Amino acid sequence: MNALEMLELTKTLSTLRNDCLSLLENLQNADGGWGFHASEQSRVEPTSWAVRALFHSAESGDPKNFRRATDFLRSRQLPDGSWPACAEMSAGSWITSLTCSALAADPESAKHVAAGLKWLCDDFPRDSSPWRRFVRRIRNESRLARQNDLYRGWGWTPKTSSWVEPTAFGLMALRDAPAAQLPQNAPQRRELAVALLYDRMCPGGGWNCGNPSVYGVDGEALVLPTCWALLALREAQENPGRALSLAWLRKEFAKIESAASLAVARMTLENYGIERPPTKHDLQDWSAQELAEQGTHVLAWVSTALNPARLWPAVAAKSVSTSASGGAQ
Amino acid sequence: MNLRNRELVPSFSRPASRVMIRKAARYEEDLLALIYESLTEFHLPVKDKTILLKPNLVGLDPQGVMNTHPAVIAATRESFLKLGASRVMIGDGPALDRDTQAILESVRLEEFTGKLGKDFCDLNIDDLERVQLETRATRLKELFLPKTVLGVDFLVSMPKLKTHHWAGVTLSLKNMFGTVPGSCYGWPKNVLHWAGIDRSILDINASARPDFAIVDGILGMEGNGPTQGTPKAAGVLLFGDDPVAVDSTACRVMGLLPDKVDYLARAGTMLGHVETSKIQQLGEGIEAVRTPFSVLPEFTRLLA
Repeated sequence: MNALEMLELTKTLSTLRNDCLSLLENLQNADGGWGFHASEQSRVEPTSWAVRALFHSAESGDPKNFRRATDFLRSRQLPDGSWPACAEMSAGSWITSLTCSALAADPESAKHVAAGLKWLCDDFPRDSSPWRRFVRRIRNESRLARQNDLYRGWGWTPKTSSWVEPTAFGLMALRDAPAAQLPQNAPQRRELAVALLYDRMCPGGGWNCGNPSVYGVDGEALVLPTCWALLALREAQENPGRALSLAWLRKEFAKIESAASLAVARMTLENYGIERPPTKHDLQDWSAQELAEQGTHVLAWVSTALNPARLWPAVAAKSVSTSASGGAQ
Repeated sequence: MNLRNRELVPSFSRPASRVMIRKAARYEEDLLALIYESLTEFHLPVKDKTILLKPNLVGLDPQGVMNTHPAVIAATRESFLKLGASRVMIGDGPALDRDTQAILESVRLEEFTGKLGKDFCDLNIDDLERVQLETRATRLKELFLPKTVLGVDFLVSMPKLKTHHWAGVTLSLKNMFGTVPGSCYGWPKNVLHWAGIDRSILDINASARPDFAIVDGILGMEGNGPTQGTPKAAGVLLFGDDPVAVDSTACRVMGLLPDKVDYLARAGTMLGHVETSKIQQLGEGIEAVRTPFSVLPEFTRLLA
């Protein structure tokens, strides 16, 4: 691509970002929240993504809208500190992590975030309980799926199993929070969760939902779980598995065909300071309206990916090796 | 809003179900003609109605071996429009990957259907409705299900003919797992695994009951399905007005015993028919198309 084409592309992407942000602002409901699509009921997840896209940047959006959004999020918190996936649900879910991260920088939400983090650190998946480990051993279930049950992350819903994406979001919530808000057992939970992520990595690098092998067949990695896991492991100690997974993502990047995966993969590579390889598609292949039809979260991810001043996931200056044996450079 | 037919009728007081088997060797055949002609035989009440086709879009599938083939989906959509339906939507909530658009791109769905726009519904992120579970096959008291699924006039389950490493087989009843929204229950919808896969299938199908089923058995999957098995050509499409009867017939085509599939045996008591005596067989006979599928060692009890 020559300099003129590069300039043209930069302008196109900047226009797309402005379109996305305008549309995102317009999609905010009267109650301060966002639905997954225009004129749908407000829900915590799309609202959390919209807050990150619109307000977690050096160039933040309208403070009145921010206050309406955070008011909405706080109003949906359950008495036990968790956040539910939809309004009528009475139990918390993985979205608690996401919301804690979205509210982490808001001083008025400090107590809410602390309560959310406490719930998170008290919530242990059921699959790794001593009783379940005992049952699994007797039933010889290890032949079905290879995994170390001593490690514990987080599930999508309470009292189920650990999975890669909720574990990654849990780790990020603990990392995003001010130290004073962290429960005492946060370091222990963090250590177990990091170990779990590496344990659930696919043999060739990258992650899927959390099944690296079933019935002896290796699982294939997917872009989004790989990105969330890598973003969660950014500050963790270097591990050959991380470099292998970055190499997998870099190779896979060229083949991505959806805006959601492209945006999140772009942010992940930039967070590690890795140059993006050329791709079949780029984000300008979609209009803001088309992205909104795929969901508010997709619109938010693309807006965030196109924002060089974003605070999360930050664009790194240093590069990290993608060779399996390499460490941070 | 149509909250779907949730009345439970014991097997002995149900009329016979109708299942049709049609041979189709390749996806390049004139599937529109075949599917339209087959649907016509059923005299379905779809004129001026909104239809939702629920295919099985389980994951990225550039080879076309694990998902309902887009040629079958497109021909079915076109057939229902020809039958007078006012709108035919397509919707699924993939269980393992939240990037539904990536899955649609990998199967090239719109190359077959044309631009879908709002006629495709990602059921993982649709608006929700609370549904009290009256079957109580599991300990779950309620499920939050997509408004689109609960609100359409006519729901069609469109699975691929596959064996399954946890449930034995995955057909039109198991396919309804894809109506449970990931945005509430995650990717995978693990709360259903903990509640028991077989029992969850019953609760879901009693709450969001398909009105019709079409099984893509042109190319199926045997062994370690639903995603890591071996492609197996069976060269058939199955149609029927009772998903339990369609799945039972599909089992027989695969050389498996439907009454040994835990959830099918239970479904036969309240959701439809398993016994051949209660199923009116149309089109090809089962023997003419029987194609034995291999199963994992855990499921050898299913072999006929």
